[in-house]
This record gives sequence, C-alpha cells and structure tokens, in this order.
Amino acid sequence: MLLAYKLSYASERVTATAIEANEFPQLAQEMQVWAVPRIVVDGEPRWDGAVPEPEFLRRVLAT
Amino acid sequence: MALLRAEEETKVREWFAELEHPVELLVAIGPEETPLAGAGDVDFGAEMVRVCAGLAELGERLTCRVEDKPDGFPRFPAVSIRPDGRDAGVRYDGLPWGYELGSLVGAIVEAGRAESSLRPDSLATLAELDRNLALDVFVTPT
Repeated sequence: MLLAYKLSYASERVTATAIEANEFPQLAQEMQVWAVPRIVVDGEPRWDGAVPEPEFLRRVLAT
Repeated sequence: MALLRAEEETKVREWFAELEHPVELLVAIGPEETPLAGAGDVDFGAEMVRVCAGLAELGERLTCRVEDKPDGFPRFPAVSIRPDGRDAGVRYDGLPWGYELGSLVGAIVEAGRAESSLRPDSLATLAELDRNLALDVFVTPT
C-alpha cells in the first residue's frame, strides 16, 4: 500500500486509495478480491501481492 | 483501548517528530455500506475519528479534522492524508485496523517528508508520466 501512496505523493498525476475490502464487500466483489493486497489500476484488477518498487512501477505503467 | 502498544507509540512519536511538513488527516464520515458478517456492532465512523484523533496527539505537526459527507469521498468512513492540508490524492477508505494502521502511519510519514523516499529512477520514470493514473489497493485488517 505504501508504495502506491509514495507514487501519489511524488506525482500529481497519480492518486492512491487503500480500500478495506471487508467494509466495502460489494466493490470488493466487483473487483474480484480473493486475496490481498489486490492492485487495481484505472478500475481494472491487475494483480495480487506485494512486489518490489521497480516491479510495482513497471506493472502500474504497463498498458 | 489504546491505539498502539507503548513501544509502538514511542516509535511513532519519533517518526512524527521528524515531519518536515504539517500533515492534515481529513476524516470523512457519512452513510456506510453494510460490512461483511462478523464486524459486530462496530461504529466504523466513530472508530475512524478515534484512530485519527489519537494519531494526531502523537505529533505536533499532525492535525485531524472531521467533515460530514465532504465532496470527493465516494465511501465512508475514509481519511485523506494531506501534506500542508493539500489534497494529494491519497486516501484510506474504511477503518485502518491492525497491520493497516501501519500503512496510515507510513502515509503520514511520507506526506511529511521534504523529499520523496522513492528511488531516483522511479522518480525519473514518474516525471515522464503523461496521463493520470488511479491506483486502488484492496486490503484487509490482518
């Protein structure tokens, strides 16, 4: 989570929101959250689990 | 119940004492979605206020403000972590329990830095970003 926050603080183009899956079960279901952390980029579920900073950045920027 | 164990509180106070910018926690309360079974009778909004107000007591440069249904918050409760009171696009939706309290503390520390703690090559890549990017990270308290 912290990496996403750091990206947002470092760039005005990036927003980062942590969403507590148990409190928002409907949204969590829509985003097919079966494991955490689940990373969603621009509304599209992308991957589960923590990755190192270079890989995190590579993945979120991949189109 | 105390927010943090004594040794944790000491460490968090040290981190917050090093904030180079003031940081504001804007807590948004409003209508809440029905959580999954097992949440019991927790008043999530009240608990969010307690957590954020409690953290704000640990640092002179950290403040907490509560608003009812402010603009820009799709879910409640939530907290926006704002360097110098500015909306930097960083939010936590739901109650940061357990391990996730560490994420909120980490966000506060990062918000209070004069310089990003990202790697230089990451900052260089980000500087070339020519589109907006919305990152949502689903978490659970454990």
